[in-house]
Amino acid sequence: MTSFDLERARRLVGADLVAETPSLGDVVFVVGRSGVRRALRALRDDPELRFDMLMDLTGVDRLTLRDRFERFEVVYQLYSLWNGWRLRLRVPVPESDPRLDSVHDLWKAANWAERECWDMFGIRFDGHPNLKRILCHHEFVGHPLRKDYDRTRGQWCSRAETLEDELALAHEREQARARAAGLDPADAEIGERLLVNIGPSHPVAHGTLRVLVELEGETIKHAIPEIGYLHRGFEKCAEKGTWNNVVPYASRMNYVSALSNDVAYVKAVEKLCGIEVPDRCKFIRVIVNELARIMDHCVCNGANIVDLGALTNFWYLFTAREKLYTIVEKLTGIRLTTAYTRVGGLAHDLYDGFEDEVRAALREIVPYVQDVLKLIKRNRIFLERTVGVAPLSAADAIDYGWTGPVLRASGVPLDARKRDGYYFYDQFDFDVPVGENGDAHDRIMVRFEEIFESIRIIEQALDKLPGGPVNTSNNKFVLPPKRELHRDIEPLMNHFMLVMFGTPVPAGETYDSFEVPNGELGFYLVSDGGGRPYRVRVRPPCFYAYQAYPQLIEGSMVADMAAALGGLNVVAGELDR
Amino acid sequence: MAMNSRPLDAGEPFMLTSVETALDWARKNSMWPLPFGTACCAIEFMGAVGSRFDISRFGAELVRFSPRQADLLIVAGTVVYKMAPILRQIYAQMADPKWVISMGVCASSGGFYDDYCTLQGIDQIIPVDVYVPGCPPTPDLLLDGLLKLQQKIDTERHLELA
Amino acid sequence: MSYWPLVPVLGLAVLVPVLLMGIQRLLSHRNPSIEKLAPYECGVTGIGRARPRLPVKFYVTAVLFLLFDIETVFLFPWAVLFRKLGLFGLLEMGFFLGVLFLGLAYVWRKGALEWQ
Repeated sequence: MTSFDLERARRLVGADLVAETPSLGDVVFVVGRSGVRRALRALRDDPELRFDMLMDLTGVDRLTLRDRFERFEVVYQLYSLWNGWRLRLRVPVPESDPRLDSVHDLWKAANWAERECWDMFGIRFDGHPNLKRILCHHEFVGHPLRKDYDRTRGQWCSRAETLEDELALAHEREQARARAAGLDPADAEIGERLLVNIGPSHPVAHGTLRVLVELEGETIKHAIPEIGYLHRGFEKCAEKGTWNNVVPYASRMNYVSALSNDVAYVKAVEKLCGIEVPDRCKFIRVIVNELARIMDHCVCNGANIVDLGALTNFWYLFTAREKLYTIVEKLTGIRLTTAYTRVGGLAHDLYDGFEDEVRAALREIVPYVQDVLKLIKRNRIFLERTVGVAPLSAADAIDYGWTGPVLRASGVPLDARKRDGYYFYDQFDFDVPVGENGDAHDRIMVRFEEIFESIRIIEQALDKLPGGPVNTSNNKFVLPPKRELHRDIEPLMNHFMLVMFGTPVPAGETYDSFEVPNGELGFYLVSDGGGRPYRVRVRPPCFYAYQAYPQLIEGSMVADMAAALGGLNVVAGELDR
Repeated sequence: MAMNSRPLDAGEPFMLTSVETALDWARKNSMWPLPFGTACCAIEFMGAVGSRFDISRFGAELVRFSPRQADLLIVAGTVVYKMAPILRQIYAQMADPKWVISMGVCASSGGFYDDYCTLQGIDQIIPVDVYVPGCPPTPDLLLDGLLKLQQKIDTERHLELA
Repeated sequence: MSYWPLVPVLGLAVLVPVLLMGIQRLLSHRNPSIEKLAPYECGVTGIGRARPRLPVKFYVTAVLFLLFDIETVFLFPWAVLFRKLGLFGLLEMGFFLGVLFLGLAYVWRKGALEWQ
């Protein structure tokens, strides 16, 4: 991956470039807030740099950090899709006047991200159409991710929000569009439409998603999603323990593929620490990530197809998942929410017989998946319900910040495993399935193809699995073996420092990403040099995926909601954190 | 299963014990669960419903997502303050007799999310019959909780005649 | 023709619901509350009108279904008396089905079976 023309980027940002703070190979610009909108637009539109994807937008409260410009900072992670370049923009925001210009019209992905930044930090975004809370409930007072908000101070919510204000905004937009087209807005008879709340407790809502739909007959005129019904405070809880204590919280984000989250998190921390893990560890992490990918796609497709009404496939795919559960339970001690990785390596090595059991399980899984494909591939009902349903063009998908199978279904062949080639992925022989139309059918089929590709990767990784240690040799990061504690003083000291004060992560910040089954799971970490994380920001793939949901279903029928939602694989643990 | 081996309570009419027992037997072996699944425990609940652990052995096969049709509310997963009014309403809308299983530590006590947004146990807003610990509990542990609930139902008095 | 066998059928038709509802009256819990009687909308208090004007497409679909359902119901007695009616029954039913088939063809051509 070649690096880009820094001079050109500097010229585009121009006079607003306050400083540059490159870190660990990342290019980081500190930009003055008055010019940030112009700079972002220039970087996006530049024909050579083409930073067309806003990967993440978040805030940091640098209250107790020594090196800082202002108390708050809004951090933009830009990504150039076609070139593979990344650029980070830090924009200092003073405490006395926490405002910034909104960029929701530059990237649709910024809409919800700015709402979250307001919710968590209290930073206002001028020009945002609907700046209200998104994760905390509407009766919440305060901004929880600020350093002066007490983590344990809970606030009750007396009733659910009616969402009438967002509905009114949607009506205004519709009437404005009608007037612009020369139609009389009263013809739409908005008052005669049926409002249905497909709420947080609904089988098709995959847990805790809420959509208020306005129906005219069977056609959806407006859909207003509400999230935050599983906001468990991951980012605040991450700040209370040590760096390794975050691993169980990370597992429970995308809980259907918990092993992937584990690997993604510790990979980012290791980048910040500057330590390398041994090759065996990397291969094992690849194997568990791909096993998690198979498990995730089984659940996602099983749930998606069962929402369409085909129950048998759910049982088949869940039985396939049960076979992998046995292996994961033997390996990590728990079936679902593993916490298998640690900073610097793994909790423990593979057990004897792991390779044979994995190969046998994969051989058993293949007929289950093939049976499901046989049932649905040419099934008239399945095709009618998914082909052409909820399409999203590649340009829109990039605008929304989509990554992973949903982006590939829309025709964009972006896979970080191929693009970045970390953890020996460049040595494995596998294909990346890419769809054509970006509809619900493609999203399901891409995931099925990815199951087979993952099986290929696992078999190759098992073939190439080297011996050796699984933990890094740097003793400051890894707990020493118990028998050494009773012999020498140095392992005892390392153990003590590690347990009492946490992993010695140096001060600094970094953004690292990993291709999890849902797409790009990124972690933006800020460390103050202590053993506890200062800020752990998760860039959740389904947050950006779900934001496009209204666009996917407005105009279609109610029955298409299930097909559209299932394909996005919105896992609330990751969506709401 | 011992149908008539329960001692009488003080003042309980003798003529109705068999009816009571029959009702209990019918109710406990045909619970229709409402899986109020929010987080990871919901996936393990799905595993319990699947063919390996098979909750339908105990009669609780028909999951019903409408509170009007269900009598067992299984709260599987973390309940946050934002979700609390929804849970309260769903519980209130279920028809009597109804029971609640709190599945997992997050539902029982907040789990390890002791923070500003997580309800520290659903028993703060609804009465719970059985707490199933685990993060997440394995499906067989959930089935054990269901069996304990069935034992509990045997000791309940439901008839409200006279 | 003796119609006396209908009497026990009618008797059962009356007795079974009375018995079921009576047992339910005796043995059930009765615990109404405001929230319980409120309409179910996934735990949220619903907004919007309860009886908006529904599009006429629903009516068309319902009426078409009703028509063809009644047609199917008429096929059952013919199936029971098939041998007894013989050729006469075939011709009469054929005419009946033919008329309805013409109706179906008309409706299909007019596009009333499409949702839009």
